[in-house]
Formats: sequence, C-alpha cells, structure tokens
Amino acid sequence: MHSFNPRKLVVSSRLVMRHSRLLQGGALAGFWLLGEGVARISGLPIPGGIVGLALVLLLLASGRLKAISLRRGADWLLAEMLLFFIPAVLAVLDHREFLGLLGLKLLAVVLTGTLFVMGTTGVAVDLCCRLNVRLARHDDK
Amino acid sequence: MMISDLAPHTGLLAGIFWSAATIALYYAARWVHKRRPRWWSSPLALAPILLIVLAVFLHENYHEYIRGTHWLVAMLGPVTVAFALPIFEQRAVIRKHWPVLLTGVLVGDAMAMLSAWGLATLLHLSDAVRLSLLPRSVSTPFAMAVSGDIGGIPDLTAVFVVLTGVFGAMLGEALLAFLPLRSALARGALFGMGAHGAGVAQARRVGDEEGAIASLVMIMAGLSNVLAAPLLALVLR
Repeated sequence: MHSFNPRKLVVSSRLVMRHSRLLQGGALAGFWLLGEGVARISGLPIPGGIVGLALVLLLLASGRLKAISLRRGADWLLAEMLLFFIPAVLAVLDHREFLGLLGLKLLAVVLTGTLFVMGTTGVAVDLCCRLNVRLARHDDK
Repeated sequence: MMISDLAPHTGLLAGIFWSAATIALYYAARWVHKRRPRWWSSPLALAPILLIVLAVFLHENYHEYIRGTHWLVAMLGPVTVAFALPIFEQRAVIRKHWPVLLTGVLVGDAMAMLSAWGLATLLHLSDAVRLSLLPRSVSTPFAMAVSGDIGGIPDLTAVFVVLTGVFGAMLGEALLAFLPLRSALARGALFGMGAHGAGVAQARRVGDEEGAIASLVMIMAGLSNVLAAPLLALVLR
C-alpha cells in the first residue's frame, strides 16, 4: 500500500513542471499578467511584458528560479512567435487606400529604411568589435 | 444565399472561426516554407496574404476579425517574458559587450527615425502616416505605445511593424551575404535592430548567440524608444 508522502508530491509536481511546455507557457503568461499589473499600478509607460521579463531575469539571476523549469515553455513560445504578429496585418482591411500608389510609397519607405537601419547597425557594431579586439591586443603588449 | 453568409460574422462563433483560420493558415504557410524556403512563403508573408484574401472573400472587416483574434496578439506579452531565458543564458556575452550593443542600438535608433522621416518627407506622405512610420523598427507592443504618444495611429504602426519584420528578416539574409560582418554580435544586432521579432526568429536560425543578441538588442531598442517618446512628442508637436 502506498502511503501519502507530501515530499513525493512536491518532487513529482516539479517533474511535471519541467516537462510540460503548456504549464511553463502558462507560468510565463502569469509573469506577464503580473508585469501588466505592476506597470498599470505604477503608471510607468513600459509594456507589462518587459516588466515581467525583468522579474523573471531577477529570479533567474538570484537563483530562486531554475532555467530548466521554464526552458521548454519559452522555447515553444519563441518558436511560434510569428503567429502572434499575423492578426495585426489584417488592419490593412480598414485601409483600402494603401492598395494603390500610397501603398507602393509606404513599401518603399519601409524597405529602404529597414535596409539603412540594418546596414548601419551591423557595420557600427562590427567596427566597435574590431576596435575592441585591437585595443585588447595593444594592452597585451 | 451568398457565399459571405457561410461564415459567422459576429459573436463567439466568429471569434473561433477566425482564430482557427489564422492558426491553420499559419501552420500551412510554415509547411510550405519548409518545403519551399522563399521570401514569399515566410509565415509572416504568406499567412496574412491568404487571410486577407479569405476576409475579402467573406466580406469580413478588421474590427470583427481582431475582436475574435486579439488573444493571439496578446500572446506577444508572454513571448516578451520568454526572452528572459535566452538573455539569461547569454549573460556572459552581454556583460562583456554591452557598450558595443548600446552603441549599435543608438546608431540604429537614430538611423530608423531619420530614414523614416526623410523618406516620408521625400515622398510627400501625410503627417499622421509619417508619425506612424517613426517607431516601426521596434517590436509591436513598444511601437504601438510610442506611436500613440507622438501622435501617430497605433493600428497603422502595427501594420508597418509587421511589414518591417517581413522584409527585414528577408533583407537581413541578403545583407549578411554582402556585408563582411565577422562577429556574431554584429549579425545579431543587425536582425534585432532592423526587424524586431521576425528578425529575432531569423537570427535564431543563424545561430544561438545571434538569436540571443538579437532579442536583447530588440528589447534595448524598444526601451530606448519608449524612453525617448515623451521627448520626441515635445519636439514634434
């Protein structure tokens, strides 16, 4: 006969938590809601998700939360991220005027602008990295 | 009976119908993309196009559509929290290179605002459209907050954000072939700064370090924009 052992229950629920991406996704959603609440109460103009992220980072850094207990849920959400952007695109339905010349202009702005941003950011970071490497070498001498 | 009567237009049933359609078309697009990895078959390009065709066909408007599928957009909240894990795992890289990343974010931010402003002025776009274009490099939740702050139209900004993501993820790959970027830091920053969430997804395919850097840069860019928005609002009004 099995006797009830509370410690076993804690251990097995921890095991379930480590394997279920759904539960972990739910936990991440919980942190988001918490962040949403904190942002609203404090009146900060920061999205609740960022507050939640900061909270989880703090818990991970202090060792109160193990990365393994959120790993699967986080990987799952991040892998399906593109799905959550799709509904926003349908806003085009309310802006039929974009189907003509205006749409082409906007596309040109978005395309060229993005190209500029990516190019300058990539080159700037790469130059900084090379400079750092060179400085480090200089220090070694 | 018309074809448009076949789909439910209001209430819970419409919500379930459009949510299911969105998810199904997303997975269909992903399936196609796996077999034919072209830019047009990216889930962020193909799925919205198919959905728009379906919505036009069924005479559905955006208001009804988003009422049923808003929960999907809201999932971007938990996704943002999920970024804590890759960032935590790359903490050594971040601790070592944060000044470089911050430089990249500031340069990218300046370029994003300048290029959007300059190009929109060049093409004689209206003020509201121009203001909605400004925060488009940043991820959706940040961008919509900033857009409202500086006098743009948040809904419009969301469309620009997604367009930026689709083309940014696609252009990023092409750019990497041209630019001799030696460090994973630069490759990650390029994606995170230029194409936010979609860029991060792409960067994760290039490498783990690129993916983590991209997500960090995306968050830094978003934060810097939210912090700069009140200042911008003062200048622009």
